[in-house]
Amino acid sequence: MRLGGAASGSQSSLREANRSLVAEVLQRFGALTQVELVGATGLSAATVSSIVKELLAAGLVDTSTTIRSGRRAQLVRLARRTGLVAGVLIGHRQLRVALGDVAHEIVAEQVLPLPDEHRVDTSLDRAALLVVELAERAGATLDEVLAIGVGVPAPVDPGTGMITVPGIMRGWDGVHIVHVMSKRLAKTVVVENDANLGALAESRFGAARGYRDSLYVRASYGTGAGIVISGQVRRGFAGTAGEIGHVQVDPQGAICRCGSRGCLDTVVGANALLAPLRSSHGMLALRDIVQLANDGDPGCRQVVADAGAAIGAVVASLAVAVNPQCVAVGGELAETGEVLIGPMREAIRRRVLLNQITPLEVVPAELGQRAEVLGAIALALEAAEIPLDATEQSGGDSDADEQR
Amino acid sequence: MSGRSGVPLLSMRQISKRFGAVEALTGVDFEVHAHEVVALVGDNGAGKSTLAKMISGVLQPDAGLIELDGQQVSIPNPSAAHELGIATVFQDLALADNLDVTANLFLGHELRENGMLLDGLMEQITKEVLGKLASRIPSVRTPLATLSAGQRQSVAIARTLIGNPRLVVLDEPTAALSAVQTAEVLTHIERLRDLGLGVILISHNMTDVRAVSDRIEVLRHGRNNGSFEASRASFEEILAAITGATHVEPGLRSVG
Repeated sequence: MRLGGAASGSQSSLREANRSLVAEVLQRFGALTQVELVGATGLSAATVSSIVKELLAAGLVDTSTTIRSGRRAQLVRLARRTGLVAGVLIGHRQLRVALGDVAHEIVAEQVLPLPDEHRVDTSLDRAALLVVELAERAGATLDEVLAIGVGVPAPVDPGTGMITVPGIMRGWDGVHIVHVMSKRLAKTVVVENDANLGALAESRFGAARGYRDSLYVRASYGTGAGIVISGQVRRGFAGTAGEIGHVQVDPQGAICRCGSRGCLDTVVGANALLAPLRSSHGMLALRDIVQLANDGDPGCRQVVADAGAAIGAVVASLAVAVNPQCVAVGGELAETGEVLIGPMREAIRRRVLLNQITPLEVVPAELGQRAEVLGAIALALEAAEIPLDATEQSGGDSDADEQR
Repeated sequence: MSGRSGVPLLSMRQISKRFGAVEALTGVDFEVHAHEVVALVGDNGAGKSTLAKMISGVLQPDAGLIELDGQQVSIPNPSAAHELGIATVFQDLALADNLDVTANLFLGHELRENGMLLDGLMEQITKEVLGKLASRIPSVRTPLATLSAGQRQSVAIARTLIGNPRLVVLDEPTAALSAVQTAEVLTHIERLRDLGLGVILISHNMTDVRAVSDRIEVLRHGRNNGSFEASRASFEEILAAITGATHVEPGLRSVG
């Protein structure tokens, strides 16, 4: 945890630094009493008290009365406009749940490590519990949660949330994710492919902001892409648009989980990356490859760079079809930065057609590991508007919320 | 990192222990490398806690060899374990409710200079350690009594990091925790591993075990009954080994 005293210089810049410290701490810990805020920020009680007053006057925080250790205390939390939505990202090895308000600000977030081939019932059950408990942590109730956006690492049917290609997630075939989650939480639930969510978030708030046509590539345990044309995510008829992990790259290659031969994922999926390192590095996790590559380990850098080139070749073909202005690269492997993206960019730039007028931008995603949950929150907010309109008087769209 | 192929951090060979007529452990082999989470699973009475207590110096083996970094050692008591860089979180956590987070972290190992407690330094180290674990405890001056079950578990785990240990033993760390708290503790375990420590995780929850472990060692009636790579073994294979549906011949070790 950071202590106060970051900025030096004028009184006002110190005050500004302290204000943002308080806001930061509230975002990380959820609702805190003023006494707890003093402990968490390292600021004096008087400073915290006056900053809370300022933030309250500016409408940035809400306060309520609570009891701590048998005494009355003032509970401070970040102000939320209108209500909350939840973003749930189900990954191969982790579950990420975040609560956001209508301004797309994340007010609470938690990551849960998942086992390989995790079970659909356990994982959805835990996701639902995490939504409820995170609402509590943020000082809210489940009633304030308007809708839930769920991301899965497979193509999905938007109506039912069923995975449209069997075999990609073992045991998840035929499960109506929308039905299961909305029954548990009694909320509107929308389900979308993870790369499409990343594409949505990056094109609205991230690296592809300001471009009409862009691609988002998610290099993780598997590889996927989201396609944005004229500012809209294009998911295709069955949600499989952009599933570059299942483009054939090796006609003599191994059989993929989807049933085809030589898919990109059989070459750059987590198992394919870990296998060649087994004899030299022992048993690793994908997380270790990223960490080691960033620490300069030549073997791991080699594996990541080769993956970048292989993904780049496929992305180049997709880009020829779509003609985007920008390719944003996210997912765990993108945390190696240029180790992955350098060779990917080179492979994409080799396609003359793409770069005739201006070179196609290939950049790291700006939202990092949060891209997909932010996309899920954005999607849930869109879905939440219908019940809002129906039940309450607020007739406006999300951009024009004048209420506060 | 990448110490997997080298000398194990902890190696236990042919460990046996009897309590009267009860054979708690019979010829058990067990290894942990740096930067590795090894889960110890088995039914009640399979010998998991007995083995863990030997590692933390609470119990002594009747027979067998314990090596740390390839050097034979004996761990006659818990403070010897602490000296050797072994930290343990027992199921009951052993925290003092009336003391604050900092005091609990340094309980019994307070930092002093000329007899004076170095409160400021201890608070600073506490903040650093909690930060390393990405813990959600807002203030290091909070008395333990006011913390949630999950926050107490994270204090107990943070305590193991005081004195730079190499090996951390966690006995049922996620039992009786909520979903958010479980998520936090599992994230802490991943952090410990990423910091380069060896971690021994005792748990009944196969989902949690498979989520964070690199290797799963099954004990059954005080004997080894299978060793699995967590990322390759299925729930069914592990459960079969725990319940005795599959057996491993003594001296033969199955691998994933």
